[in-house]
Amino acid sequence: MRTFRRFFRRLVSRATIRQDEERLRAEIEDHIARQTEENVRAGWPPAEARRQAVLKFGPLESMKDTYREQRGLPSVEVLVLDTRHALRRLRRAPAFTLAATLTLVLGMGATTSIFTLVHAILLKSLPVANPSELYRVGRESRCCYLAGYSQDREFSLVSYDLYRYFRDHTDGFSELAAVPSMQLLFGVRRSGSPEAARSYPGEFVSGNYFAMFGIAAYAGRALTATDDRVGAPPVAVMSYRLWQQNYGGDPSVIGSTFHLNDKLFTIVGIAPPGFFGDTLRPTPPDFFLPLNSEPFVESDADLNKYDTHWLNLIGRIGPGATAASVEAQMRVELKQWLRAHWNEMSAAERMKFPEQTLFLSPGGAGITSMREQYQRWLQILMTITGFVLFIVCANVANLMLVRGMERQRQTAVSMALGARASRVVRQPLLESILLSLFGGAAGLAIAYGGTRLILRFAFPSMAGLAGVPISASPSLPVLCFAFVASLATGLAFGIAPACLALRVDPIEALRGANRSTTRAGSLPRKTLVVLQAALSLVLLSAAGLLTVALRSLEHQNLGFQQDGRIVATMNPRLAGYRPDQLSPLYRRIHDSIANLPGVASVALCLYSPAGGGWGSGVWVDGHPDPGPRNENFAAWDRVTAGYFDVIGTPIIRGHDITEQDTAGSRKVAVVSDAFVRKFFRNEDPLGKHFGRTPGEPREFEIVGVARDARYLLSNPGQAPVPFFFLPETQAEYGQSNLGSLFLHDIVILARPGATVPVSTIREAMASVDPGMPLVSIRTMREQVAGQFTQQRLIARLTSFFGILSLLLASIGLYGVTAYNAGRRVSEIGVRMALGADRSQVIRLVLRGAFGLLLFGLLIGLPLTLLAGRFLSSQLYGTSPYNPVVILAGTLVLGVSALVASLLPALRASRVSPLDALRSD
Amino acid sequence: MKPKADVQPGTLALMVLKTLDVLGALHGYGIAQRIEQISGDLLTLNQGTLYPVLLRLEQEGSIASEWGASENNRKARFYRLTRTGRKQLRAETRDWEQTAAIVGRFFAVKAEDLK
Repeated sequence: MRTFRRFFRRLVSRATIRQDEERLRAEIEDHIARQTEENVRAGWPPAEARRQAVLKFGPLESMKDTYREQRGLPSVEVLVLDTRHALRRLRRAPAFTLAATLTLVLGMGATTSIFTLVHAILLKSLPVANPSELYRVGRESRCCYLAGYSQDREFSLVSYDLYRYFRDHTDGFSELAAVPSMQLLFGVRRSGSPEAARSYPGEFVSGNYFAMFGIAAYAGRALTATDDRVGAPPVAVMSYRLWQQNYGGDPSVIGSTFHLNDKLFTIVGIAPPGFFGDTLRPTPPDFFLPLNSEPFVESDADLNKYDTHWLNLIGRIGPGATAASVEAQMRVELKQWLRAHWNEMSAAERMKFPEQTLFLSPGGAGITSMREQYQRWLQILMTITGFVLFIVCANVANLMLVRGMERQRQTAVSMALGARASRVVRQPLLESILLSLFGGAAGLAIAYGGTRLILRFAFPSMAGLAGVPISASPSLPVLCFAFVASLATGLAFGIAPACLALRVDPIEALRGANRSTTRAGSLPRKTLVVLQAALSLVLLSAAGLLTVALRSLEHQNLGFQQDGRIVATMNPRLAGYRPDQLSPLYRRIHDSIANLPGVASVALCLYSPAGGGWGSGVWVDGHPDPGPRNENFAAWDRVTAGYFDVIGTPIIRGHDITEQDTAGSRKVAVVSDAFVRKFFRNEDPLGKHFGRTPGEPREFEIVGVARDARYLLSNPGQAPVPFFFLPETQAEYGQSNLGSLFLHDIVILARPGATVPVSTIREAMASVDPGMPLVSIRTMREQVAGQFTQQRLIARLTSFFGILSLLLASIGLYGVTAYNAGRRVSEIGVRMALGADRSQVIRLVLRGAFGLLLFGLLIGLPLTLLAGRFLSSQLYGTSPYNPVVILAGTLVLGVSALVASLLPALRASRVSPLDALRSD
Repeated sequence: MKPKADVQPGTLALMVLKTLDVLGALHGYGIAQRIEQISGDLLTLNQGTLYPVLLRLEQEGSIASEWGASENNRKARFYRLTRTGRKQLRAETRDWEQTAAIVGRFFAVKAEDLK
């Protein structure tokens, strides 16, 4: 207690420092006066009396020192003094301060910006109550629909019936909510508004969704269990963003009705700002609808199909329950539910019954597919920025070392006068920490801009839709990260120069450093330059490898033509069309666009090339059924006549789908070459039949084989997926996947040399149905390029960092060479006086610089090969050991080094021997 | 003349506290005089060393000080014991006596006592 009180008094003593000094002076004065009086009374003469009094008092200054030390906290005061001193020194060397700060700003900016992304995508929890209590079912994140009663590895998607079974029987979950695994678009129009419908992402959610997350509506009310019942009045919750951006926060939106896919819904509430649903994704939902309204909105509803699994589960663990106990309970329930459906199961599914299981995983970050998608990229970027930061440290350390050399004499004097080692070390260390804190603070601004830029490139947002819910402005963890990183950086590049200051021999330093021939302290600086060169080579090569991979992706033979093709995307579902109205609609759309000037031909399809595919099993007529372990998957697409002609993929055998394939004619299919290789190894596929479900007739007759093309670009570098194509006119209305009837891509082939303006396409569509929104119109080239956004971003960022590191390394090399040349001025002068000519001097200086570079290359080459291995999964089949790339990186580095060292070499060669010898 | 002893570290504070306890409020000079007087000139005391001790005791809250007028109307700073100081004095007195007693016993022990 006493100690604490004393500490506090000492801490605040700075405020009263002048008063205290005065008090001490007065007290001493009083004391000595009294003693003098006493001495006078004892009979001394006045002058001697005072002298004796002062003697008795003791050494005054030493006592004052003790007094002052007792009064304040000397360590704190000295720190403040030293900091002020450091600031003053930095101000007095503006060039150095600017160079060091700029270097640091770049490094800190890059690191902080990437960390902002890492934090948002990999580390952050959902903005909901107690996210640590949330658990989701499933370890992988799966999409879309899985049919039947078995799932490989784990049961992670469930049907609505299975969801209810889990919800009603698992008492370990206080709430268990369900959401579809894929995102839906809705055509939205406010009732009574004259504007055309626009499409917005939305989500069906179980009634307890908001209660499970523990979030209340911002305005109005959230959805409840009573909204999520059969026959409940259709209601919806709108996102805060849409409410603000489209309706200006108008309170009358709550309670008003909206057309969602042409069905009337009442908006009952607004979700809180910042809530982006259960999953971090580039397009957060703007509408939340009860699951039970799905059959009301979708003509091909999945809600009541027992064996269609399309829901993700996420729930809040109740008090007292553990994830392990709940997981065990749910495994038993899964088996019970499957048992109850034993009669509907196929033989293969019964065989797989024993291995059916499920896993819980932490759900605090939501059902994150983005995390899995970006994890590898972010790791690579984080590693790269780590390298850049290291180079930055090395560079600034070099600058500091040069400064330390200049200060050597001063340090020597202070040490000769008895300065303590700790203070001699502290001075340069403080300077470097101050510098790095400046750099960190300014780097935050750069990071903000950089993150915004990266977000714009990585997640190009569509007009009117919400962007990815990642904020570029630094959050508290990001601020902490920047602060700690700056501090660590400051220590990292400050320690070596600080310790070097200690190694000064006062006598040697005072004697005049310029005369000495020892290169004391040049080893650390050389080492740093060597490391910088090595790391630059690694980064340059990584950038080269990624760029080469991107180019090979973009210029690979995709198997379809991109030039002159335009892809318009629509969504008849959003305009409220029923499946049986679709065929005539497609005919009208086809005809109205085909009649536009400049259009050569048009085809509609479910998925245009690079747009995706629908999945199915394949059972070939005359082949034995595939065993339970034999994979018989193929992707398929529904297209209109002449599709292959429009996309420019040649039919290598048989013929294209034609106008003669109608609802009444025999069912036909065109298959891809990969399909033939997979299912007809040694047979002629033409005329063969196949089906998509085991029990039903194999009705599709193969009439043509199309050359392989990359319809799916999501797995670049892998073999093409087998595909088959069915004519739109032969749609089966009774089938289970009615959704495949809603074609959404229109591929338009322009006549050679002609252009088809976007506005005429819009007009043509509006003449067919003004109420049907066109989601997008873009060229095929844009659609393909859009698939490589991520790869392009990474290649560009890595190139940027590579160039940055090259620049820094060159500056570092320049600094070291210039400094060494400067220190050798007198030596050079002697050499020249003895007859060396300019080219010999230049060679002398360059030899030093290129020696360093050579060392850098020696260290860098193995590192580069390692980096190639590290990157190999992201190179899509291009070799990680690309000699051209490595050679190019070496060359670029060599040229930069030449430029960086030639300048000081030339300057050294211009030294006049007389001046050089006179300079000391 | 007997050799004078240096002040043992830490004991000066105790002497100051005891002095103030006995004499009440007193200025620095008075405290110095009193200590020399009591110790019977056995101690060499640089009177100046008193002031850092006074400062520390004040920071710890054992004593308080204020300006006042002394006998011949000179302004002087008077120190007095606070309640904390009194408590501290009692505790330290006890400690000191205990330590002295223990050391005393060691000196009293003779070799034959250990058998």
